[in-house]
Amino acid sequence: MRPEIERRRFLELAGATTGVAALAGCTDDDDGGDTPTATDGEDGTPTEETATPSDPETREGYLKRANAVLHAEAPWIYLNRQYSVYGKSTDVEWDARRDETIDGYAIEPTGDRLSVTITQSEMDSGLDPHDHRETPTDNIVRQAYEGLLGRDREGKVVEQLATGFERVEDGRVRFELRSDVTFHNGDPFTAADAGFSVNRIVQSDVGGLESPQVDQLAGVTGATPADDGGAVIVESDGINPVVFSLFATYCDVVNKSWIEDNDAAYINSHMNGTGPFALETYEQDVKVVFERHDDYYRDPAPAEQLTIQAADESSTRVNQLQSGETDIIVNVPPQSVGEIQNSDDAEISAVPSTRVLYNAMIYNAEPFDSVEFRQAMNYAIDLPGIIETVLSEFGDPTGQPTLEGFTGYNADVDPYPHEPETAETLVEESGYAGASITLHTPNGRYLKDFEIAQAVVDEVDSLSNVDAEVKQRDFGKLAGELLDGDLETGPDWYLIGWGNATFDASQTILPLLTTDGALTSYSSERVDELMDQAQSTGGSN
Amino acid sequence: MASFGRFLARRTAQGLFVVLGVVTVVFALRYVTPGSPVDFIAPLDASQATRRRIADARGLDDPLWLQYVTYIGDLLQGEMGYSYRSRTAVAPRVFAKLPATLELAVAATVVAVALSIPLGVVSATRRHALPDKAATLFSLLGISTPNFWLGVMLVILFAVQFDVFPTSARPVGFLETVGNLLVVAADGPLVSTAWPLVHLDRLVLAAPLDASGFVADGRTWVAHLFLPAVTLGTYFTALITRLTRSGMLEQLGSGYIRAARAKGLPEALVRYRHALRNTLIPVITVVGLQLGTLIGGAVITEAVFAWPGLGTLVIDAINNRDWPLIQGCLVVIGTGFVVVNIAVDALYARLNPQVME
Repeated sequence: MRPEIERRRFLELAGATTGVAALAGCTDDDDGGDTPTATDGEDGTPTEETATPSDPETREGYLKRANAVLHAEAPWIYLNRQYSVYGKSTDVEWDARRDETIDGYAIEPTGDRLSVTITQSEMDSGLDPHDHRETPTDNIVRQAYEGLLGRDREGKVVEQLATGFERVEDGRVRFELRSDVTFHNGDPFTAADAGFSVNRIVQSDVGGLESPQVDQLAGVTGATPADDGGAVIVESDGINPVVFSLFATYCDVVNKSWIEDNDAAYINSHMNGTGPFALETYEQDVKVVFERHDDYYRDPAPAEQLTIQAADESSTRVNQLQSGETDIIVNVPPQSVGEIQNSDDAEISAVPSTRVLYNAMIYNAEPFDSVEFRQAMNYAIDLPGIIETVLSEFGDPTGQPTLEGFTGYNADVDPYPHEPETAETLVEESGYAGASITLHTPNGRYLKDFEIAQAVVDEVDSLSNVDAEVKQRDFGKLAGELLDGDLETGPDWYLIGWGNATFDASQTILPLLTTDGALTSYSSERVDELMDQAQSTGGSN
Repeated sequence: MASFGRFLARRTAQGLFVVLGVVTVVFALRYVTPGSPVDFIAPLDASQATRRRIADARGLDDPLWLQYVTYIGDLLQGEMGYSYRSRTAVAPRVFAKLPATLELAVAATVVAVALSIPLGVVSATRRHALPDKAATLFSLLGISTPNFWLGVMLVILFAVQFDVFPTSARPVGFLETVGNLLVVAADGPLVSTAWPLVHLDRLVLAAPLDASGFVADGRTWVAHLFLPAVTLGTYFTALITRLTRSGMLEQLGSGYIRAARAKGLPEALVRYRHALRNTLIPVITVVGLQLGTLIGGAVITEAVFAWPGLGTLVIDAINNRDWPLIQGCLVVIGTGFVVVNIAVDALYARLNPQVME
């Protein structure tokens, strides 16, 4: 009886309203320590409205509705939000950030020691802040370089080199700049430096480099210093509603004359930023040592010296931490968490990251062209169980593409409950009973990716009317098939992870779930329409 | 003597073909390995335009034969191209890692030789006694214990539990340590690509002689080197112990030993002057060949100890599909192997001139 009722509810909801919370009310085993609960405050009163509600006026409203539609139409099997799990020595005070970077300024050594060491898994690919696209390098260069805006630990936009930011008109924003900032080489920071930094990324003929970060500032066409010199004007083609979000995550500011006077080899082995730490020694592939920048425009950093080194093996990092040779280590695997928690000198610092793991189901391939079948896949899996057993609780269940805390997250949408009978009924209704499907997954690209894929496949396979198997794939090959812009060449069902450091729903939904997305597996008029409306509405950052 | 020169020249020519073969095989592997390096340089969310930029900046779309010919040309001029990941020159990066790897390989060899030859001799001369059984058991364990497991266990025991040694890394190297006493004169580098390759005359005493710095650095260096060297040397120790034991047994049973004993030579003289000397000929060969293996085979040990040598570099390079860097590492490892082989052959030829024919 129950599945019947729920299905009817679903069909109502697929018309796109908000509340589907009541459908998924039984996932109450969300006990991951300080895990923020998705539905705090607004829980318990799902909106029962149906039919077409009056159009929401705000951009955020459109994004929320898109998320509700995407929950109901189930283009993915929604899996877990990944956690960033760090190990940290009790000699330092520090809390993990959501955006996967480690901010050396926030590390406070306790006792009389004033130097801090971080061990990550890999060293940088050169120190030019505009010539890379990877977290290990970001972690290093962002100790010395800063942006106009930045983010706090939770991901909220904060001012850095800018003291104010406003939208002057559609496609044109203005950042007021600090006047008390100097680069590490002593040059004062000016509006010309800010404009040059933007242009070096978005314009291929500026700054001796075609920056691979060009699409991180998507839509931005260039920047010019304002007439009064105390501000920079950034131009975009179109309205660019997320421009402040992009600047809070990307675009490190460099010194124009220093970049122009030096060659690539020099810029890649030296640093001249405005940040709290200045480069002391650089040993390529081995370690980077920073010293505190005492003329920093805020209070000087608590640590006098900051060393970043690398160890590829996670057990090596754990051992370094336990014997006091390092203060912070990245990517602690679940099997080592207990060991660190039991140690007197070290502890775990874990935080939900900006990365989500999902199983895409190609919308026009059988049997995934049936919404019932895709929903069934979501009902089939025991997501909290997978998070508990495979990830030792380091993960949050998701039920929509957008993560909690992001602009556009719909707090009224809960993850699908584990209901195998509902799943079997829905498979029958889809007309694809007896389907045989194969999940393609990389192995080792994301934390426990293969183990998660195996768990999903086991649970789907245990349905009486579906056969499922898992197929391990080389990540490079899989990525190539997904990125070639042709849905026909890729697998119909695959596991992949998506990081979105802009904290904005659009940067997940547009590329992955709209008809023209670069990595899309889905096409729905309703979603395309809502996203068009959202992206043509300015206002939120 | 002329024949020795010819022998050496022939071996060197063969060695060059081996290195060329290594490069060719790497290019062939590149052809069959799936995945574009772009996917390892840029995240999934990079746009097609960004991917284009990355590929163009690295010449990724040039035909493979052109890349191959260019590479061989570069190699002949001592260049190894530019890393895909960081776009920095490969050759200086690879050579910068060479001292760390050589230190580890030599240290492991020293550990192995110092332990295994006495063990092998004792075990052969006191056959079936307790020391022989202990040595046999040890060598069995040594041969069958995987490196990575042994390394992790040693770290947990001696670094984490008892804190006798550091867990990993290499804060100073041999050259920095010696640099406290000896420095290279300002008129040029110690090693150059032109003849003579090594300018020992440029090595002069450091102006302020830093003896305490030498001692402090030396202690740090040895402390960090010890566990990796033991880890890497264990298999090797076990192997040489067995070899020494069986060689010794063979020699001790042969006619000339019986003759020496019959003419009344003291037993110590018979064992160590005659039997051991002949035993060592094959042992030296194996030690030499193993040294070559250690240069390339230290990959796992280097990873476990975060030892910044060629091994960790090649692992990072493989993880990023950074083909120029992979090639650079393999060319250097291959060349090292070939050089050691030639040296061993030469040594063997001097010890036993029959092989030259």
